[in-house]
Amino acid sequence: MKFIIQRDQLMESVQNVMKAISSRTTIPILTGMKIEANENGIKLTGSDSDISIESFIPKEEDGIEYVEQIEPGSIVLQAKYFPDIVKKLPQKTVEIESEGLQVTIRSGSAEFHLNGQDAEEYPQLPQLHTEDSFEIPTDLLKNLIKQTVFAVSAVETRPILTGVNMKLEDNYLNFVATDSHRLAARKIPLEVDTTNMTFSSVVIPGKSLNELNKILEDTQENIEISVTENQILFRTRHLYFLSRLLDGNYPETSRLIPEQSKTVVHSPTKELLQSIDRASLLAKESRNNVVRLSAKENNQLEISSNSPEVGNVMEEINVNSIEGEELKISFSAKYMMDALKAVENDQVRIEFTGAMRPFIIRPIDNDQILQLILPVRTY
Amino acid sequence: MKTWSDMSQVQPLVAKMLMNSIAKDRISHAYLFHGTKGTGKYELSLLLAKTIFCQNRESTEPCHKCVDCHRIDSGNHPDVHQIIPEGQSIKKEQILHLQKEFRYTGMESNRKVYIIKDADKMTGNASNRLLKFLEEPSKLTTAILLTENSQSILQTIRSRCQIMSLKPLNPTNIKKRLEQEGLSSSNATLVAALTNEVTEGLEISKDEWFANARKLVVQLIEVLQEKPNEALLFIHNQWMQHFKDREQLQRGLDLLLIWFKDIIYKQVDHENAIIFISEMERLDKSSMLWSRKQVTNTLGEIMEAKRKLDQNVNPALVMEQLTLHIQR
Repeated sequence: MKFIIQRDQLMESVQNVMKAISSRTTIPILTGMKIEANENGIKLTGSDSDISIESFIPKEEDGIEYVEQIEPGSIVLQAKYFPDIVKKLPQKTVEIESEGLQVTIRSGSAEFHLNGQDAEEYPQLPQLHTEDSFEIPTDLLKNLIKQTVFAVSAVETRPILTGVNMKLEDNYLNFVATDSHRLAARKIPLEVDTTNMTFSSVVIPGKSLNELNKILEDTQENIEISVTENQILFRTRHLYFLSRLLDGNYPETSRLIPEQSKTVVHSPTKELLQSIDRASLLAKESRNNVVRLSAKENNQLEISSNSPEVGNVMEEINVNSIEGEELKISFSAKYMMDALKAVENDQVRIEFTGAMRPFIIRPIDNDQILQLILPVRTY
Repeated sequence: MKTWSDMSQVQPLVAKMLMNSIAKDRISHAYLFHGTKGTGKYELSLLLAKTIFCQNRESTEPCHKCVDCHRIDSGNHPDVHQIIPEGQSIKKEQILHLQKEFRYTGMESNRKVYIIKDADKMTGNASNRLLKFLEEPSKLTTAILLTENSQSILQTIRSRCQIMSLKPLNPTNIKKRLEQEGLSSSNATLVAALTNEVTEGLEISKDEWFANARKLVVQLIEVLQEKPNEALLFIHNQWMQHFKDREQLQRGLDLLLIWFKDIIYKQVDHENAIIFISEMERLDKSSMLWSRKQVTNTLGEIMEAKRKLDQNVNPALVMEQLTLHIQR
């Protein structure tokens, strides 16, 4: 293998790929970074077995030549040293050449010899078929992630709940996450026909989605999503992000969502959020961070919280409308705040079905976003 | 590199059982391989893993050449997980890591194999965690637990595994092999009693440390017989200087154990089984001095001392206690 490459380009790719490499791994080869050269360009791969990131540097793009004199081949290099070497090289171009398992890195008058490992030993990432894929804008995907991933379970008692359920149904893409005390769901219409897709429902680990969210840039460009039997691939122009999936069946969540409601509140999001934030200041002291909400006459909501050792707080806010029965309900302030933040609208509709039943929060103008919270029993 | 045909010579019964279940596609979800050191537990587990993953397997025999086979050999296969004790025991975190690994889908396929070496070294916490997912195995996982002592594994774990007992190798075979390698007959017998592997045996016999260790054991016996009052001094001045770490001390105790076994063989006139053949005169003396009951007790004490060493008791104290017991 041999090629000459622009250092800046290489550095950027190396930094992206490094995000997937962890020094704490049980499989020794994964401490390395795979470098693969073919006629079209250079591909770098890093993995911690949960997620894998591939970065592709094309031979030339927009008339600019990035890589020259490519002789195909592949090698695995120690990820502990390679990035620092690239960072500190003196010249704008880097020549990388491998002979057997010996790699020579040249730039200007500096020359490094590194011991590599056999690329055959590296895990083979699944071959993905493009017919099983669909595209959505990157910033929309980031939104989908942000609006659901916070609700995944942090405890491992039911492992499947540590992931986000991605489902294709009637040309809608659904993201659902729940920790069995609350649920966050978001669906978006897809432009492509999805009836031919071989998968319908997968569970993506919350950790992988958080990582993906960090790596993706906020652009309008499309990102391609494809699913195989055991991995999911998110593909932007030069970056491939692969994640393993969670094994098992996701619980059926549609039945949890109440269909009728007894009390409906329309409220400005920001005022409600701030008021609950204030009330939770005192509630934080007690164990479960509970605030109480009661619907009063004249379109007024009373938000209160009481922790006997500290004191209590009471606030009344004006809302747009309150319809239906009178209501007193207690819930976790943290869950409520998370949910209100995820609703991207300055007006929300909250539907209650009694003090002991879950309630749902939606933006006022569409039903694509849904947040469901279970109340807390207080005496 | 071992193949099934090699294995069926060394471990005919177990190899046959495994080969049959492979041929009939009835691989169990959990195996417990138990057998003394050198019986090929680990080789067997790798072979089984290779058979499961190999792409061009012919009937039961993996090819040993394909990418999967290579990666299993080098420990780089992403769907084969090996757990080896971290320090003295297998910690809860290691099993936690394994549990996490098995909630995810596989990296390359959905087939997964995990190999737990020295499974008896799992802490209580770790065993219970493992138990939880031995109980609810997913279809495509295979657990292989390796142990030298299946009795110290939780009964509840044992009952969920298919237990494969690897029979101990015949020491006379090893002795013959060692003699062919140019060892003297007396040395070969002793080394064969300590290990089941020819290569390890050769290493031991070439080691100067081992020759000295052997001398020291004989000296200790002499001191215990002739001047019992100096035994403790001897332990401090010479024994502990030589057997510096736990592993070395274990080896020393192994030698001591053999010596006392020899006394019993001598007393029951079963001289063929004697291992310290070059020290017949001293053995004679020893067998006159100690009664059979005393020797049996001493054997128990040595075993106890070995166990205590494993449990992190101060080595010097263990040795002192042992010599005091033998003197009594």
